[in-house]
Amino acid sequence: MRNSRLHLPFSLTSLASGTVIVLFVTYIALIAIIMSYAALTIEFSQSVKTDQASVAILEGQYLAALAQITSTNYVAEGYVVPSGELYVKAQSATALR
Amino acid sequence: MRAQFRSRIRYVLVGLIIITLGIFLRLYVIQIIEGNDYMLKADKQFSSGSTGLFDRGSIYFTSKDGTLISAATLATGFLVAINPQTLVDPEAAYAAIAPLASTTISKDDFMADAAKKSQVYIEVAHHLSSDAGQTLNAENIPGVQVLVERWPVYPGGDLAAQTIGIVSYGSSDTLTGQTGLEAEYDDTLSRSGSLYSNFFAEIFSNVGNMLVSADNAREGDVVTTIEPEVETRLLSDLAKVNTQYSSQGTGGIIMDPHTGAIIALGSVPTFDPNDLQNVDPSLLRNPLVENVYEFGSIMKSLTMASGLDAGVITPQTTYDDTGCITVNKAQICNFDLKARGITPMLQVIEQSLNVGASWIATQLGQEKFRNYFLSYFGTKTGIDLPAEQGALLNNLRTTEQVNFDNMSFGQGISVTPVAMIRALAAIANGGVMPPPHLASAIQLDSGTLKPLDWGNGTQVFSAQAAQEVTTMLETVYPNDARLAINADPSLQYANVPVAAKTGTAQVEKPGGGYYTDVYFHSFYGFFPANNPQFVILLYTNRPQGVQYASGTLTATFMDLTNFLADYYNIPPDPQDVLPLPAHVTE
Repeated sequence: MRNSRLHLPFSLTSLASGTVIVLFVTYIALIAIIMSYAALTIEFSQSVKTDQASVAILEGQYLAALAQITSTNYVAEGYVVPSGELYVKAQSATALR
Repeated sequence: MRAQFRSRIRYVLVGLIIITLGIFLRLYVIQIIEGNDYMLKADKQFSSGSTGLFDRGSIYFTSKDGTLISAATLATGFLVAINPQTLVDPEAAYAAIAPLASTTISKDDFMADAAKKSQVYIEVAHHLSSDAGQTLNAENIPGVQVLVERWPVYPGGDLAAQTIGIVSYGSSDTLTGQTGLEAEYDDTLSRSGSLYSNFFAEIFSNVGNMLVSADNAREGDVVTTIEPEVETRLLSDLAKVNTQYSSQGTGGIIMDPHTGAIIALGSVPTFDPNDLQNVDPSLLRNPLVENVYEFGSIMKSLTMASGLDAGVITPQTTYDDTGCITVNKAQICNFDLKARGITPMLQVIEQSLNVGASWIATQLGQEKFRNYFLSYFGTKTGIDLPAEQGALLNNLRTTEQVNFDNMSFGQGISVTPVAMIRALAAIANGGVMPPPHLASAIQLDSGTLKPLDWGNGTQVFSAQAAQEVTTMLETVYPNDARLAINADPSLQYANVPVAAKTGTAQVEKPGGGYYTDVYFHSFYGFFPANNPQFVILLYTNRPQGVQYASGTLTATFMDLTNFLADYYNIPPDPQDVLPLPAHVTE
């Protein structure tokens, strides 16, 4: 009776073990990547919030300037109301000049 | 050779396994066993040790060029805490902290805290600037911790404060929106996640939620239609009126009559949400949606539109004005008690005749009048602000004609300012009441801008009726403008056609009846009258030393009209502007 068992040039056990090891290392690597991603996310989020707070300070200054401009009485400051206003039609803008 | 290769492979594999196990073990130690210690270290570096960093979405104004400007956002700074058990020299610590604190720290309180040796963490100062916090941290004082913190901040201060609202602890132990848009959109603005969650543990326990979070799809920032420069101008003008006439409150709304987008709104007195410790709680209330008022004669515009739409009158219809009439044993008179004789409908609006408005109400009949006014005020506007009040319409449910006559000129019917401008906007919008709203979009954390659809509004009378009332309202404005210019020659008459109407209502006494010398003034108008872009409603409650609204609010309306025309580059239209009369008698 002829032995019909398949003969491979390498051990299936070694192949399976290697695969498990590779998958496991990949798994750990993925975890490391995810953790690095998480750490970066925290760092960037902090950075964004800090920048937002800085922008908020500038926005506060802008809005305070608006309020000051609005409340200023320019006549009392010595400026004169224009004696007349002339309206002209806006020139049409074109890129072909 | 093959055996040698296989043995080398085995060595490599064993090495990999050892390295992997080492990494795995180290990660386990760091994340699980020593996780809390590292988290505390992180907290010491980045946040308050007790609660973590506060996080919340922003609310934005939108300038006319589309730039978003924060109305409510977060500030980042430092808090200072002491550990009485390790604080060696309280005097020196106080001397270092006190000059850097944003508010005054009581030395007695500080020393009392430092003496509490049973405690390990007491916060002594908040809201230090970044520079101050870093300076203090560099001193490395034993027993003193300098921790990062965030808190809500409102860059505009009192700008639209009652509308933007506030965040506070309220009845819970977390900061939540309590009033205004902060409360209305609290679900959107709140942040449920924590940056300091244990990612390693989450990977094993909750993989699905890490990839797709329903919260992230909902959380975002609120983009409003409020234009900051217009808002600033409106509030400045309202404050001037309130101060000049010692009123008990002055408010205003500027709205796009086609979409219902509110461009500016506000009332004074108001408050600074950055300094809530010194705020009178009654000022947190938003009178534009939470208070109801009897608006007086600006209601005649709606009475006129109802009569024209129902077909019971036309612009050419006349009536016999006797100056006073008696209805259900009550007397109704014109403001000056004078009779006009045969009078056309135009004069009912132009001269603001109470007898004429009552005559239109009688022509309409109670059922039609009731149906029209229920369509204007029977439902809340649905504006995106909390605690909106409904109108007081009890008189609509009676059968006494005197009540309907009174309502026809704005007495005996109380509505919120936002309900009033919604109804009046129908005149500027072809008979369609637009849906008033403040938020135009939600900017999701993902970066996606999700526009909000507010619908098209409700048709309450015909476009023809709206146009006929507009024509009448246009005749009112030049007379009021002349009176205002006589009082203040620096005022400018608009270069665009304007439709407007004033209202002066008597204020109801608490026990019934009306004061004879206490008034509520209102002013309503829109422009350009032939293609309205803005509708404006102004009011001032109980102004002192002046009887009629033309004396208090016309100048404010003119200033706002000129400002808006300039700011939004509305081209002048001198052909359609009615001439300013040379003389007008009050």
